[in-house]
Amino acid sequence: MRRLERVIGLLGPLLLLCVVGLLAATASRANEIYYLNALTAVAIVVSISVFVGNSGVLSFGQISFVAVGAFAAGVLTVPAQSKAFVLPGLYPFLRDTTVGNLASLAIAAAAGAALAFLVGLPLMRLSGLAAGIATFAVLEVTHNLLREWTRIGPGATTLSLVPETTGPLQATFGAGLVVLLAWLYARSRSGRLLRATREDAAAAQAVGVSVHRQRLLAFTLSGALGGFAGGLLVHMLGSITTEQVYLELTFLTLAMLVVGGIASLWGAVVGALAISALDSLLTKAEAGSFIWDAPTGTRLVVVGALMALVLVLRPAGLTGGRELTLPRRFR
Amino acid sequence: MILAAINAQTVVDAIGLGAVYALMAVGIGLVFGVLRLVNFAYGQLVMAGAYTLAFTAAWPAAASVAACFAVVLLLSLALERAVFRPLRTESPAVMLVTTFAIAFLLQSVALVLDVRDGTIGEPAGSFGGLNRAVSVFGVDVRKVTLVTIAVAVVALGLLALLLARTTVGLHMRAAAADFHTARLLGVKADRVIGTAVLISGLLAATVAVILTVQTPLVAPDFALKETIVVLVGVVVGGIDRLWTATLGGFSIGFVSGLINGALPTDKTVFLPSAVFALVILVLLLRPGGLFAPARAVERV
Amino acid sequence: MSEALLELDHVEVRYGPVPAVRDLSLSVAAGEIVGLIGPNGAGKSTTLHAVMSVVPLHGGTIRFAGESLADRTTEAVACGGIALVPEGRRIFGDFTVEENLRLGLAARQVGGVDKALAEVYELFPILADFRRRHAGALSGGQQQQLAIGRALVAAPRLLLLDEPSLGLAPNIVDAVFEALAAIRMRGLTVLLVEQRARRTVAFADRTYVLSNAELRTTLTPADADDTEKMLSAYLP
Repeated sequence: MRRLERVIGLLGPLLLLCVVGLLAATASRANEIYYLNALTAVAIVVSISVFVGNSGVLSFGQISFVAVGAFAAGVLTVPAQSKAFVLPGLYPFLRDTTVGNLASLAIAAAAGAALAFLVGLPLMRLSGLAAGIATFAVLEVTHNLLREWTRIGPGATTLSLVPETTGPLQATFGAGLVVLLAWLYARSRSGRLLRATREDAAAAQAVGVSVHRQRLLAFTLSGALGGFAGGLLVHMLGSITTEQVYLELTFLTLAMLVVGGIASLWGAVVGALAISALDSLLTKAEAGSFIWDAPTGTRLVVVGALMALVLVLRPAGLTGGRELTLPRRFR
Repeated sequence: MILAAINAQTVVDAIGLGAVYALMAVGIGLVFGVLRLVNFAYGQLVMAGAYTLAFTAAWPAAASVAACFAVVLLLSLALERAVFRPLRTESPAVMLVTTFAIAFLLQSVALVLDVRDGTIGEPAGSFGGLNRAVSVFGVDVRKVTLVTIAVAVVALGLLALLLARTTVGLHMRAAAADFHTARLLGVKADRVIGTAVLISGLLAATVAVILTVQTPLVAPDFALKETIVVLVGVVVGGIDRLWTATLGGFSIGFVSGLINGALPTDKTVFLPSAVFALVILVLLLRPGGLFAPARAVERV
Repeated sequence: MSEALLELDHVEVRYGPVPAVRDLSLSVAAGEIVGLIGPNGAGKSTTLHAVMSVVPLHGGTIRFAGESLADRTTEAVACGGIALVPEGRRIFGDFTVEENLRLGLAARQVGGVDKALAEVYELFPILADFRRRHAGALSGGQQQQLAIGRALVAAPRLLLLDEPSLGLAPNIVDAVFEALAAIRMRGLTVLLVEQRARRTVAFADRTYVLSNAELRTTLTPADADDTEKMLSAYLP
């Protein structure tokens, strides 16, 4: 019974993802994007929670990994014929290489992991406010480089013509894979050691846990999953700009995580889906294609207000930071 | 190469920028001192002030400025009541994220209000005349820069006097050092916090007036970039003490101003990367802040 | 017997599910010096914190001069006439000695500030010598004097002391108890929490013994030399 209980923590979210995937597959072309958006959001938010949730260290830089993953996957899958015209300034090895869908996702994950490891080596020593500012600085540097360095990407212009290979199947599988890996990590010895440092870093260190090593591991995994999610994202949109993976997405995904409940996987999934649903509803309302009209900008106001409200009234989030388990009756 | 390009005007402009950032740094540092809360939404207070100036642009200048101060102060107090007070017992991470959310919320509200007339951005041209330059010792300086530096010096001087010589200043310093013991001695928590929030609001309104001179078009992201840079400067300087926070804010403004003025435009595109890489380096070497004592452990 | 200035009635304090103080009833009459001793973790400090409203009551009432202290903020209790000299002194090291004393004035409800400061300087001359120095430069014993002086300038009706001799050398402890004797002579009501059992029992009018969150017995100065009685009071 205990094992079933623990697996519920994984099956619950996966089931939810499948439901959304099904909705995506059966929806109209106009609505399909909302469901795909939700699934991609889950992938991004879960990747963030792998680090932030388990370590208790607030990082504002996780979207950097999504960004490098998105641009890596995007640049390498733009069709060879168009690339020379659309991205003239690229380094030769980027210009002449074109990979397939799955390979691009793998490369996106690798790019995210590499950046995370590189940055994490020095940064994982920091905690609290210093860590928050330092990781924010990473976001800024990544954004600045992607925007200005036209030899590795489109710079300030939109990267388009990326094959739209993230349909309902890829989105569901992709999000599901991220959830599975996050769950496996959380249940692993390493994950538990990291959570020990979250509760009391000094005590954990005193019993021999290497805080730096455990944080770096989670950070790198988070980077890999984030990069992978970035790959999913760029293949869903068919294009990407640096502004789409910068401050607004950072805020939105952090909001999803916090509203759902920072400390758990279930919280990440619930938060991502709930806010995505709300966001989509409001986008439709703003566009005038829903039952009621909303003035422009309302969606951000409502999302911001909701996030603030939840934080003030229920700081542990909708799920209270707990994983999904069986109701008491069945235990 | 860079040194050759720094002339007197660049230096004065950089000092002016540093002065504005110092005022914002104090606003942020004061609230952090008594509440242990980093107010990400500080920039939105400045934005609110700027929008008030814009929406009352037709009024006489004095009335417009008065309205600006009134709105910013009310908003500050409302934030303290509705958000900061209930959150006082939460973890630093939750407080951080909540003010982040408030920042976004306020920005979005501004967007909704602004866009009603179909365009983003409202002009606030009350003190446009201050943009003209005067010649001081042979150097061309904009009037607004001089006014900014003067205002900053006066404001900071008054604040320093308040903190060092008055009872309420003593209570605020005590609350910042050890709130719990201060309360045991009878220091009234609400009064101290209210005073800090009030002063912080006054500074935000002042910054709003100054910034609208330089940037007359007010958009929802008004003062956002400045706030981010000031926050970074404050943490890098050392958020734990008011003077290190202020110095950090001034420094990052001054250095940015110098570099921006010295480098040709095409070379400045990578400036953010350079600045933020430097920030990371400083935080790694001195997590408690550049100006704090070397063995300072970071507060949060 | 004079009226009770401070009354604790079946007080219960919990930290989460753990009871720190259980069914505690004690009283301190005006002008008395009452001791509160007991082993570590017995709940002595918690009792003082409960009086100051630092921790909430799980049960029972605390009355000061007949009025309940329930639902008051810490600073309201301090301004109501109770001063606490906290454990570990908690002085403000970066402030001068004089500033530390002036902080104590925050709870003072009457005039005569200059006289009050002068009295403290008279009681503790070393503070007068150091008045412009940073409090962090003082030794442990001097800081203890500062902490007591800071509480006195508030003109409290009740003085609470949380282990004033903690971490101090024996001869410094003597100085602290001498100061307490001087305070006694001014007629101030005192509740003294201490680890040094014998000294406290000999000094106070009455001493309660707290062990494992409960009140065990009450001792008088006559019992100070009765080792057996003292031991049995401590051990369960």
